[in-house]
Amino acid sequence: MLKNIQEWVLLLVIFGAVSVLGNWIGYDIVAIEAIPGMLILLGICLVGLILGEIIPGSIPSIAYVALVGVLVSMPWMPGSQVIVSATNEVDLLALTTPILAYAGIAIGRSWTDFVKLGWKSIVVAVFVMLGTFLGSALIAEAILRFQGII
Amino acid sequence: MKQQLTNIWKDWRLHTVVLIIVLLTETIGTHSFTVGPGVVLLLPMLYAIIMGLALFFTPVIKDKQSKNAEPLIVLGVTVLIAKIGVIIGPSLPQIIEAGPALLLQEFGNLGTILIALPVAILLGLKRESIGMTHSVAREPNVGLIMDKYGFNSPEGRGVMAIYIFGTVFGAVFMGLISGFLATWTPLHPLSFAMASGIGSGSMMAAASGSLVAAFPDMENEILAFAGASNLLSLSTGLYMSIFIGLPITERLYQIMTKNKKYNTSESKGA
Repeated sequence: MLKNIQEWVLLLVIFGAVSVLGNWIGYDIVAIEAIPGMLILLGICLVGLILGEIIPGSIPSIAYVALVGVLVSMPWMPGSQVIVSATNEVDLLALTTPILAYAGIAIGRSWTDFVKLGWKSIVVAVFVMLGTFLGSALIAEAILRFQGII
Repeated sequence: MKQQLTNIWKDWRLHTVVLIIVLLTETIGTHSFTVGPGVVLLLPMLYAIIMGLALFFTPVIKDKQSKNAEPLIVLGVTVLIAKIGVIIGPSLPQIIEAGPALLLQEFGNLGTILIALPVAILLGLKRESIGMTHSVAREPNVGLIMDKYGFNSPEGRGVMAIYIFGTVFGAVFMGLISGFLATWTPLHPLSFAMASGIGSGSMMAAASGSLVAAFPDMENEILAFAGASNLLSLSTGLYMSIFIGLPITERLYQIMTKNKKYNTSESKGA
């Protein structure tokens, strides 16, 4: 557990550093301004990951990470403005770029499986998007009609 | 996540390659072009995954780097989830105000399971179909599947396939079908506005954008409903998947594949 925490911290710091540099180049936010926000995000991750380890049950640790993030940034939490304005300096897309860079490198090993999915995954993807869009629209239609809004 | 993470931080070859990819792709920046009612967005993350993949087939990346990259995806997604958490927090009051219609239409996202899972199974996909169809496969759902099944599992490959498709074509696809469906079905444009918020900013923008183009009189209402719904999908999507979507998908998958086996053995017998 302790060894895991040490490894988490080191990897989070590496990931954070790469993201802050990408954030600087891609979104024009100078590294110095983004570092406090990044440290807050990494702290939220660490707390969530540790909670996921020590709390029994099968709820994934990212659920705790999201919960901690919401709790510390909601308006009723004292000092939340500081957290919100600091983390605003880290662009969401600056985080996705390194994730997908690592993902590309990792996908290589299962590339043949991906190719096998091929056209089938495109067909399924079309139905996935159609399903959520039509499902939500039908329910919204029913309730909006019931409420007399439309 | 629970297995040993030993000394991956020392893999400087991997981290340097990723740093170079990030600096290069962010320098190229975002580009977009329009196709019909939708916009195709070319984001740095898209170039990044292609470059990473291309490098895998060069001597720069060895098998070790590729293995070591997996836990970093999981940790990276964790940072992303933390960021989404602090986006949701400040807007909690609006979310609470947003009302029952908005809340209940979130269950419509489960429609993806009912429509897409049978299709996936019919096409002969195995456990990939669980990752593919349990949700609309945006970042929180990808994180959930990685956390639960691992990156190199069939479920992980499935969710990544849909995620990649959504990242590349999601906006243009949503833009196309929302304009088309809103003009060709009897459903009200405001219902489609709420449906536009599926937890991705670019897809929401494309879907609600073409709705506005089709119904310019309702511009403000459409954008307000779509925005609120997107916020809700971002904040509830993960929990919806954990507690409802994924368990239903697992159960339905078991039922459907069992019936299929039964049918084939029956036809063999006959």
